[in-house]
Amino acid sequence: MSSKRHSILPPVSSSGPKPPVHFSSSITIADSAILTGTHPIAIHGESVVHPRAKLDSLAGRITVGRRCVVHERSTLGAVFGASGRITEAAVTLGDYVTVEVGAAIEAGETVVGEGTVVGVGARVGAGAVVGKYCTLTPHSEIAAGEVIPDFTVVYSNGMRRPDKRGVAELRNKGMARQIDVLRRMIPSNPTKFA
Amino acid sequence: MSSRRPPRGEYIETDTGNKVARKATLVGTQNIMLGGKTVIQPEVMIRGDLVRTIQASSQSGATPNSTAVAIGRYCFLSRGCCLRPPGRLYKGAFTYMPLRMGDHVFVGPASVVQAASIGSHVHIGAKVAIGEFAIIKDYVRILDGTVVPPNTVIPSFSIVAGQPARLIGEVPEGGHEAFELRDLYKTVGNNPQPAPS
Repeated sequence: MSSKRHSILPPVSSSGPKPPVHFSSSITIADSAILTGTHPIAIHGESVVHPRAKLDSLAGRITVGRRCVVHERSTLGAVFGASGRITEAAVTLGDYVTVEVGAAIEAGETVVGEGTVVGVGARVGAGAVVGKYCTLTPHSEIAAGEVIPDFTVVYSNGMRRPDKRGVAELRNKGMARQIDVLRRMIPSNPTKFA
Repeated sequence: MSSRRPPRGEYIETDTGNKVARKATLVGTQNIMLGGKTVIQPEVMIRGDLVRTIQASSQSGATPNSTAVAIGRYCFLSRGCCLRPPGRLYKGAFTYMPLRMGDHVFVGPASVVQAASIGSHVHIGAKVAIGEFAIIKDYVRILDGTVVPPNTVIPSFSIVAGQPARLIGEVPEGGHEAFELRDLYKTVGNNPQPAPS
């Protein structure tokens, strides 16, 4: 292990059209993130996109709010099967949203509210509206078009309960700290996508 | 003989017997420690770049240990699984903590592991999500599709399943031999051997 070996990062297949992007100057986006599609992708201030996260704007525009963290292998704007003809199929993430490893948010006027955590491998269906400060635990599924009220915890295969901890503000502070650290760790290369 | 190099295999085999697929995504390899004889299948992702940023105050003189993911011997990481160190707020600042894994740990396909520590002889099924800072002791079997919540401690010889994970049984007497991964190790690589029947 004496020689300096580089990370084994197989090249990312850059198939598909390159989308127009609107990046804030303070975002952190990994070199190996995948941005594809034809509609615009906007990422607001201090958000972090991990390696291998996929943002697909083929169906509609993607907007990521301030201080969001999009983890590896998650897909925003995924299109699963033929879900009818939707002329405009946007995906909007509010501020302070965390999309964890392997989660998928389908395209179709889907909205994820401020401070919501989309857990590992969770799926948010097309047109679903998830409220503010919700927690979707790992592998939970939100059906297409469903509306989840603010402060809801979705767990155990679709059980729901309100979140009464009142930790929204603390969570936002924690997110800010996390982003500070991630900024230093993830080599950012926004110019690649411009 | 001609100077032609042998054809490139699907796996890179190291001197210590690790078999790492060329299509695995290892980020920050300098912070990933493999104990030897570990198999990493294609499409596995290991986040070695998420290193600890705050060192324990006791070891001020020692060299900072920057291992993010430590894996023991004869571990088997199946296709599409993801290992990432857990992160949390510690003394008012956010830091990632190392992920330690013992020997003979099997991680099933498409599982996501964010545990703090995994013992030896642990079997993790397919599509399992292990939350941050979970501690899994030795000889544990986690069935397919289980969601282990953050900060859970799973005692030795448990069988857990469900969302969230619950104890559903114990590993029977003499059942610990099923955790042995030496034979599985031989069945993958560039010259795979057939599994002994």
